[in-house]
Order: sequence, then C-alpha cells, then structure tokens
Amino acid sequence: MPPPIQDRTNEFRSCVDSIRSRSSLTRGGADSKQRLLRNAKTTAKTEFASMASAIGKDINGTNIKLGKLAQLAKRKTLFDDRPVEISELTFIIKQDIANFNKQIASLQSYVKQRSAQGSKSPEAKQLEEHNNNVVMLLQSMLANTSMTFKDVLELRTQNMKESRNRTEQFMYSTSTATAQAAASSSMLYNSRPDPMGDGSPSRYDSKGKGRAPQNGDVLALDLDSAEAGIPGTQNGGAFQQMQLVEQQDSYIQSRSTAIESIETTIAELGQIFTQLATMVAEQRETVQRIDADTMDIASNVSGAQRELLKYYASISSNRWLMLKVFGVLIVFFLVFILVS
Amino acid sequence: MKILSISVLQAPSSGASSLLSSANDLSSFSFYQRGSVGEFVTFFSKTVAERTQPGQRQSVQENNYTAHVFNRGELAAVLITDQEYPVRPAFSLLAKVLDDFVAKVPQDSWNNPSSISFPELATYLSNYQDPRQADGIMRVQQELDETKIVLHKTIESVLQRGERLDTLVDRSTHLSTQSKMFYKTTRKQNSCCVVM
Repeated sequence: MPPPIQDRTNEFRSCVDSIRSRSSLTRGGADSKQRLLRNAKTTAKTEFASMASAIGKDINGTNIKLGKLAQLAKRKTLFDDRPVEISELTFIIKQDIANFNKQIASLQSYVKQRSAQGSKSPEAKQLEEHNNNVVMLLQSMLANTSMTFKDVLELRTQNMKESRNRTEQFMYSTSTATAQAAASSSMLYNSRPDPMGDGSPSRYDSKGKGRAPQNGDVLALDLDSAEAGIPGTQNGGAFQQMQLVEQQDSYIQSRSTAIESIETTIAELGQIFTQLATMVAEQRETVQRIDADTMDIASNVSGAQRELLKYYASISSNRWLMLKVFGVLIVFFLVFILVS
Repeated sequence: MKILSISVLQAPSSGASSLLSSANDLSSFSFYQRGSVGEFVTFFSKTVAERTQPGQRQSVQENNYTAHVFNRGELAAVLITDQEYPVRPAFSLLAKVLDDFVAKVPQDSWNNPSSISFPELATYLSNYQDPRQADGIMRVQQELDETKIVLHKTIESVLQRGERLDTLVDRSTHLSTQSKMFYKTTRKQNSCCVVM
C-alpha cells in the first residue's frame, strides 16, 4: 500500500523556521528566504492542487476500504460468510473506481485547458510539467487500486467455490436435498454447534469455530440466533434463502462448468500438440538415417562408375592387350585344329 | 431449436408489468394463427415477468414452450423458446439484451412504451436462433472441437508418414549395401584383371 497522502507543509515550515533560527549569520539571505516563505504561506492552493489532493484522499479512502474487503474475502469460514456486506462493499468500491476515472479524466482535461491558454514562460512550463506528473501519479495509483481490487475478487471467488464444495459435502445435493430432506438439513444446521460443545473440533467447523475467540461476539450471535431461534421457521427461512441462492447460482454454476469444459478441451488440445511434436521428433531420426544412406549410395555409385570408366578406358586404349587377346585366341585355334 | 420472442418489460415488484419492447419470430405458424400466438406470447411474457422476483432468473415451461425470465431490478427480460434451447446461453442472451437496453434507451422514456425504439432486439432474435454460433462460450467450444478433430486427423497422417518413412529407410539401407557391393566388385575387377 503506498503511504497515505499527508499534508506536511506545517512540518516543512517548522523545519525551515528552526533552520533559519539556527543560521542567523547570513541575515540578507535569510531575509530573501523569509520573503519566499511568506509568499508560500499566503498563496492559496491552486485549483489544480485542491482537485488533485481531493482525488488523492479519495483514492486513499478507497484503498482502505479495499483492505477491509480483502480481509473479509480471506475468511474461509463456512457459516460466517457475509455475502451481503461483501457484495455491498464490492459495489461501493466499483462505483468509487468509476468515479475516480471520471475525476481524473476531468482533471486531465483541465490541465490541457490550462496548458492551452497558459503563457510560454518557463514557470508556466514547469507548472504544466508538474501538473502532468501529478495526473500521471494519480492514474498510476488508480491502476494499482484496480489491480488489487481484481486480485481480491479472484480470491473471493476461489473461497466461495471452496465453501460451496464444503457445503455440498454437508448437504450432498443442493436441489434434491432441499426438496426432500428439509428436516435433515435443518438438523444439520442445528447439530453443527454441538461438536463445539464437546470440545472436540470437527473437521469443517474448526475454521469457523476456531475463530470464536477472535470475533466471538459476531460468531456467538450467529450461533445463538441459529440455536435459540424457533427451529422450524428459523431454519426454514435460512433454507429458503439457500434455495433462492441456489437458483441464482445454477446459472452461474452452469456457466462455470461450461467454461471449465472449455478449459479441459484446451488442455487436451495442448496434449495432442505435444504428442504430435514428439512423434515428429521421433521421425526426425529416421529421416536423418535415410539422408545418410542416400549420401552413401550416391558416393558408392559414383565411385563404381569411376572404376568402370577406368576399366573401359584401359580396355579401349590397350592395343597391346588386344594383340595379346587375339594372339591367345589364334594360338588356341591352332592348337585345337592341329590336335583334331 | 428456435426462439419465439424476446421482450423487455418493466416489472415493478408490486403491480402489473408493462411491455417496453419486444421482437417475435412467428414464421413457423400459419398465417392465420400468428395473431393469437402473438397475443399468447405477450400474455405469457407479462405473467411470467410479474411472477419473478427482482434479481432472480427463472425458467417456466408451458405446453411445449419454455420461457426464460431474468428480472434485474427495474427491468425484466423474457425469452420464449421451444424446449430444446439450452438454458445457459438463454440467460446470457437475456443479460446482454438488458445491458444493451439500459445503455441505449434513456430511463425517462420507460414510462412511455410507444416511444421506445429498440431495433437491436430483432437482430438479437435472428442471431441467436442458432445459439451455438452466437453465444460466445458455445462458439469457442465448437471451434475447439473442430480443431480437435483436425488434430486427430493430423496425428493419423503423421503415423502414416512414420510408416512410410520406415519403408523408405529399409529400402535405402538395402540400396546402400547393394551399391557398396557394386563398388567393391568394380574395384576388384579393375585391380585383379590387369593381366588381361
């Protein structure tokens, strides 16, 4: 959380006074300093500065509210959940953020207007730069607030889902159990506090009841109202509310299941892609082998062709060889004819 | 699976509701039935909107039509469809219609229904006749399924490619040994028959 915006001009002035009283040697310089200070004291805050400080204070207040909302959303209790408060707070914060957007936009247009009509003196330029910087600072603070808000909302939905799961474990099916087992679930509501009386914390209750010492007043109130109230109507009332919430939730639930199925489909697609990649990578080896083999074949065949050419050359240019061959043939002819 | 009508009503928590804007698609009925069907549709929408509490979504069945109602504070939107239409996109359509209505039509004309012109209802009606195309989530799911089919085909063809590559490898090793023997033979011939 950024440090809260404070107006420390009084501190500043007291510092300057003390320093001035200490350095009483240079009177002339002190005089000019004094004059500067008096001017600073007497000039009223410019309109821009007042607007900007108002926005800053509001953003600060909203940050505090956001902190409270974060605190509320972090609670993981089963029955101490305060949805009304949380949704109210969420709504208020959303409205505030929208307001800030508008205010900062108007501030920005104001600054632009000022810079359009302002003179070109160096002071006015500095002032303009300062104004722009302040506007940017406010915008960044607003952006931070919205980011924290979004995180808190995510945390809240997560916790809601978890608590919804735990609730379903108690009341196994929300729609059928509400229809049939009205009595049994109201007994569940009633019997919940009993484990606490034994002193042995039950698994699901420990989170809710464990906080009893912390904010015992609120929790005790809920327990008392649940126990001491008229069993039938009290739990019937809480039950109908559950039913109403269930009906509203079924649309949201179906949406979330649809989106979850989309998520699983995308994950499957990712798996398929990785499988595809592995298969192609395996085949890369094979392709490399084929490549090496073809190179071998090419070199072998070219070598063989060279040898054949050499042979042909030696044969075709070797008259001596031809003479030798014919000579041997004629000798054999003569030998066979003479013999026979 | 089709939508019969979409309507936006003003549904105060007590008292009668008033129809602010509606769009019908009665083309599946014969020409002479359309009048009565249109009246039935308006009556149904009004009744159902009156009986829904603010901030609540409901689906009511009647004969073989289903009405999906979404009451959000001042306004309620009713969607009358046949029984096959999926529930979730129906409600998301209703929420969209309400948002659009609140954005486009100024609040002071809500007490004067005849002055409201909201032609987007008709475009919504025609677009959402096939929810698989119009609803974002369903469209994404459909595209993902198509992509999955394409990927399965791709994997099959990659497997075939693998088989072909295997035969290629075998043939190329065979060729390689043969060409090596060829080379050796010619070399032998060159070197050993120098006598001749």
